[in-house]
Formats: sequence, C-alpha cells, structure tokens
Amino acid sequence: MKEFTRGALVVTARTLVAAVCVAVVVIARTTVGWGSLAIMLCALLVLLVVLASYNRRFR
Amino acid sequence: MATTTSTPPSDISAPARPARRSARRRGDGRFVLACLLPALVLFVLFMVVPTVNVFRMSFYTWSGFSPDMRFVGFDNFTRLFEDAQFVRAFQNTVALLVVVTVVTMGMGLFLAAIMTRQRLRGRNFYRFVLYVPNVLSVVVIAAIFSAIYDQQNGLLNGTLRLLSLDGLQQVWLGNQEIVLWSVAIAMVWQSLGYYMVLYMSSMASIPEELYEASGLDGASPTRQFFSITLPLIWQNLRTTLTFFVMSAVNLSFVLVRAMTGGGPDGSSEVLLSYMYKQAYTNSSYGYGMAIGVVIFAFSFLVSLLVSRATRREPLQF
Repeated sequence: MKEFTRGALVVTARTLVAAVCVAVVVIARTTVGWGSLAIMLCALLVLLVVLASYNRRFR
Repeated sequence: MATTTSTPPSDISAPARPARRSARRRGDGRFVLACLLPALVLFVLFMVVPTVNVFRMSFYTWSGFSPDMRFVGFDNFTRLFEDAQFVRAFQNTVALLVVVTVVTMGMGLFLAAIMTRQRLRGRNFYRFVLYVPNVLSVVVIAAIFSAIYDQQNGLLNGTLRLLSLDGLQQVWLGNQEIVLWSVAIAMVWQSLGYYMVLYMSSMASIPEELYEASGLDGASPTRQFFSITLPLIWQNLRTTLTFFVMSAVNLSFVLVRAMTGGGPDGSSEVLLSYMYKQAYTNSSYGYGMAIGVVIFAFSFLVSLLVSRATRREPLQF
C-alpha cells in the first residue's frame, strides 16, 4: 500500500472514530443512569486516545 | 639559585572561599524565601486550606447554619450513587465538555487560519466582532440569549415565523431535550473569539518562508495547515485544551444559573450548579462538598490525561 493511501486511511479512521465518540456522548446523554454515564466517559477516553495516537509520531 | 616554595595567595584563601560561597548561597536562599513567603502564605490561606476543608467537610453532615456537625464517613459519597439528579448533572457536564470543546476548537482553528492566511478585507473588524462576546459579562450573555430564545418575542422563533418555518419553532429553554444545547450555543458564542485570537497570535508568529517553500513544493492550503500550522501552534493548543476542561465546568455553571436555573426539571443541571444547590439552597453542605470532591477529581483527571495525551517536544523556529 502506498504511503499516501495509508496516511489518508489513518486520517479518515481517526476522524470517523472521533465523530462516532461525539455522537455517542450526545446520544447517551438522553438516558439518565450510571450505565449511560460510563458510556459517555468511555467515549471521552477514546477521544483522548485518538488525540494521543495522532500526537505519538510527533513526540 | 635558591628555590623558594612560596604558596600563592589563592591557595591560602582556598579553604575560606567555599565557606564564603556557601554563606552567600544561604543568604540568597533566605532572601528568596523572604520574597516568596507573602505569596506562599496567601496561597496556603486561600487555596490549600479551603481545598482541604472541602475534602474534610465531605465527611460530615451539616446544614451550613446550625452548630451541629456530625461525622458520617463516606455516607455522602454512597448517597451520590443513588442520586439520579447527580448522575444527570454529571452527564450534562461531560456532554458540554466534549461538544463545546470540539465545536469551539474546530471553529476557532478554522476562523484563525482563515483570518491569518487569507487576506480578507476587514479582517480586523471580524476579529473585533468575534472577540466582543468575551469582553461581556457572562450574565449579560445569558440575558442576550434568554432574549434570543424567548418563546413569543425571541429573535430565533421570530425569524423562523418570518421564514414561514413555524414547525421548527421551539421552547428553546423549556424543552428538556434541547435546553442543554441552547446553553452550549451560548457557551460557544462566548468563548469562540477568545480562542480564535489566541490561535491567531500563535499563527502570526510562524515564519512566512515556511508557507512559501511548501507552496513551491506544491502543498495545498489544507496540507500546509496540518503539516506546518498545527505542529507549530501545538503548545498553544495544549494550553487551550486545559482551558476548555476548566471552562466546561466553571462557565457552564454561571450560564446555567443565569439562563435556566438548572431547569426544566433539572434537565440542564451541571455538576457545579447541583453542588451549589445542595450546599447553599438545600442546606446539605456536607453532601455539596462531596459533589465538590467529585468535580475536583474529575477536572484534575481529565486535565492530566489531556496533558499526557498532547505532550511533545516544543518545535523551535
């Protein structure tokens, strides 16, 4: 696989994961409960993991 | 020729020199300590003592007024597990933290890049207009948005009526499903200009030659943004991410308090407003402080994780 294609795929995957996390936070908020709160916190954690994975190659 | 073994004067004073140096260092240390002491005393008095007191009070039950204060251990914390309103406030805080951060940061970066890289006519005017909300008091912003969201005479519903879009009209601050997002829009509007100006100041310090060189190599503006602008303003982005965490907790409280009071039926309650309500309105000071401990731990943990996730060597240019 070309370097450019691989890079584009990684960027697309990261963007998709981040968008899904934001959507999960918005949707999970509609139900009140510890389960929903745990899902929201997990989505927040995944967002931070995505940020860390983007940042890793610059360290 | 007679040889004399005279000791140079420097050798005579050699043992005295370290003693003098250490005495001077001690004197310097005392001077530094004397300079730091007032600030240190103030810090301990107004930061450390109240924070420790919050932790201590979370183990007591107290109305806030009576002299009766009873130690209850972790009871206040176990009560939190059964409190649905606390869970809802926590969920709202997390939702605001995520959505407001993503939207404000995205828009702030986009606008800053456009204002810096594109030679827009009247960009100083746009910058001024976008920055003005940050100068206004949060209560004034709450009043402005309360007027915009007004059900009968509000700007939003009025515009929708004018455009014959009556079906889209809402009770913006009275509908449990959308009230939090109405507050979120006010939060974004209030802070967007501030972050945009912060990002613009960083972007303005990037040397133009880097863009010229990359342009000659055929880099598109998007490529330039992700490969030049973003890495070179990264330290600024890190700082603002921590600001976002703090403002999601603090700013949301003031806006919620001024716009909705946590209503309708607690649907726009955030952690700080719920803590305030319990500690000062519901006369459950100890329980309020237990919520305060949770807020402290949550903010601290998220800020720490953000700092760890975004850490990198600063680039010199």
